[in-house]
Amino acid sequence: MNELMAARSLTTLPVVTLSGEAVAQIKDTVFDAEAGRITGFTLSGRGLLSGPLKQSLPWTAVHSLGHDAVMIVDAGVLADTPVVVARREAQQGRVLHARVLTDEGAQVGTVLDVVVEGGTSGRVVGFRIAAGKALVQGSRRRRHRVYVPRGETLAVSGRALVIPADATRYVADDLPSFAARVGAFRDGREGTPP
Amino acid sequence: MAWWIWLVVVIAAVAAVAMVTLAVQAGRRSGTVIAVRRRRGGKGAR
Repeated sequence: MNELMAARSLTTLPVVTLSGEAVAQIKDTVFDAEAGRITGFTLSGRGLLSGPLKQSLPWTAVHSLGHDAVMIVDAGVLADTPVVVARREAQQGRVLHARVLTDEGAQVGTVLDVVVEGGTSGRVVGFRIAAGKALVQGSRRRRHRVYVPRGETLAVSGRALVIPADATRYVADDLPSFAARVGAFRDGREGTPP
Repeated sequence: MAWWIWLVVVIAAVAAVAMVTLAVQAGRRSGTVIAVRRRRGGKGAR
């Protein structure tokens, strides 16, 4: 598995061509909720006073997603923003702070971040959530933040994220241990007992 | 016009530029994560 990254950490990453020219920087990360894959990024300009760009970066045009930059072949691969996300979708599909529910109807927390796989896959592998009492027992003052794997039966909108109840058995406290948990979750779904 | 009026005008102009710059920078850093639904074979499908 490639390196895991939090989607919010991608914001402000430079978009760099293979010839070394930084043409933009990442603003929003857009993903297909059903397929569990990144579909593209909205962009901001690189200048001091540059705002959001009218062009976006479709995932099909990404050469590689790295820790320090998003690599593209050249600036010609950028597309108009509606190709990546329509304005209405952008307003309704914001998943940060959405409630996390299991398919058994228990609310287990709220979404803090989305965990994606770097490299060329663009897969969404899980979520960082502020865990509720149903998921992690503990003090109310110290909200516990954990990672949970993405389920195949995922449903997500700007209001709620639905994950399989068995995904809550594979929570992790940090990204390195989460990578192992994701593998165990997949094995468990393929029939191997957890 | 008194010299201090020009000083106030210059300070106000600098403050306005600084506020605009900060607002733009805040907007650029306010990225989020957006979930969309794509029909199979439709826009964005791979």
